[in-house]
Amino acid sequence: MLELRGLGKRYTVHDREVVALADVDLVLKPGSFTVVVGRSGCGKSTLLRLLAGLTLPTTGAIHHNGGRPKVGCVFQEPRLMPWLTVAGNVGFGLVGKVTKAEIEARVEAALALVGLSDFRNAYPDQLSGGMASRVGLARALVLEPELLLLDEPFAALDAFTRRGLQGELTDIWLARRPTVVFVTHDVEEAVLLADEVLHMDGGRIIGRREVPLPRPRDATDREFVALRRAILDDLSGRAGSSPPPA
Amino acid sequence: MTTPGLRRHTGAACVLIVLAAAWWLASASGLVSPFLLPLPQTVLATGWELLADGTLGMHVAVSVGRILAGYSLAVALALPLAFLFGISPAVRQAFEPVLEFLRQVPPLAMMPLLILWLGIGEAQKVGIIVLACFFPIFLGALGGIAQCDPKLVEVGRVCGLRQWDILRRIVLPAALPSIVIGLRIALGQGWRALVGAELVASAAGLGYMIVDAEQLARTDIVIVGIFVIGTLGLLADFGVRRLIARTAPWLRQRTELTHA
Repeated sequence: MLELRGLGKRYTVHDREVVALADVDLVLKPGSFTVVVGRSGCGKSTLLRLLAGLTLPTTGAIHHNGGRPKVGCVFQEPRLMPWLTVAGNVGFGLVGKVTKAEIEARVEAALALVGLSDFRNAYPDQLSGGMASRVGLARALVLEPELLLLDEPFAALDAFTRRGLQGELTDIWLARRPTVVFVTHDVEEAVLLADEVLHMDGGRIIGRREVPLPRPRDATDREFVALRRAILDDLSGRAGSSPPPA
Repeated sequence: MTTPGLRRHTGAACVLIVLAAAWWLASASGLVSPFLLPLPQTVLATGWELLADGTLGMHVAVSVGRILAGYSLAVALALPLAFLFGISPAVRQAFEPVLEFLRQVPPLAMMPLLILWLGIGEAQKVGIIVLACFFPIFLGALGGIAQCDPKLVEVGRVCGLRQWDILRRIVLPAALPSIVIGLRIALGQGWRALVGAELVASAAGLGYMIVDAEQLARTDIVIVGIFVIGTLGLLADFGVRRLIARTAPWLRQRTELTHA
């Protein structure tokens, strides 16, 4: 169980105080899939950076029973090391922590999972955008994370590639059940992936909706469309949207 | 070989042939005095002669030895210093003015001082090369470290890497293209400075061979010397690029781009 209590982050830019995150209370159940939506600057990336330990909160704290969780992070850009092969990139976070043989075995397994076994010796500049995203995903999965954080990982990809990767991510999550926090501004993606969609604005969580649809989900399904519409209404601040369930 | 590559080489070969023909014509027709511009075949014969009696080999060995010593010393000084600057802003601020000042002084302008301090022996030649090589290597490395993508550093932090491992596993390889460019420029600068130093005060080396031939009015030997200097420079540069391509295949493309 991961608990965020009164989490806040503020910093000063040119003598002006900016509140990036304010009073966020959130409980992430083990194995849950949470998607955070909101316009740019709403604090969703800050929330992710705090969870990743890349920055420290100014108020509040993150509690996790059993110390800091093992975190895997997938960024908006693949962020691959151009000097390492695909296998080298995937195993990057394991070097020095486990034996060479174990690195090799785990890298192979992660590459098989994302369907890139044949490209283990390729360099990042030889990969397509979708392949590079898969390598970024494999680099996070190989760490066997308890908490998997994804910051708009598929935003730069074409629709077909994105749809394929969304399916793969769902399958991987169903198989391994890490706790996932996924940030996006694509509402359809949110409804496709999430157990629960959080709506952020002005550094606060201002709405949440459960997604009770069975998987695999169909974006043309009537309930899917209705839920998508409801969340879009939440985002545009239109009146008449149902109140957030407690 | 691809067609554009072939075409490029054909063009280069044509230019070389035309230049050689113009040289031969100018000299053979008496347009330029053969004393000032000997015939290509005369230069070739002289080159062969110098090679056969070991004179050329001796001078080349002396010059190359000096380059190796000075270049290695410059690398050993510049790279650690650049990394120290990269990780410690305080050190950087303290030393930057002095280094900026020294950078403005051409190595050859330091020669009188070096001669007074180090004499006219090997130490002075090596000193000149160190001066000439230091800044390209140092600035290349410093620039590379500064340009390291902070997003890649974040990947290291998420993986739980310590500061030293981030430096070794992310910053250093990310800086490598700049370091390599610095190393290549330094090699050329060092070679130029060495020949300059040998022209002024020396008893051996390719620069000495040229200036000695000038005093004996042996234009053919001067031209042989110039060709050898240029060819060795090209070979060294080619060697560095081959080394990079073999040890760092991901740099192949970028070093090709910088080969201008």
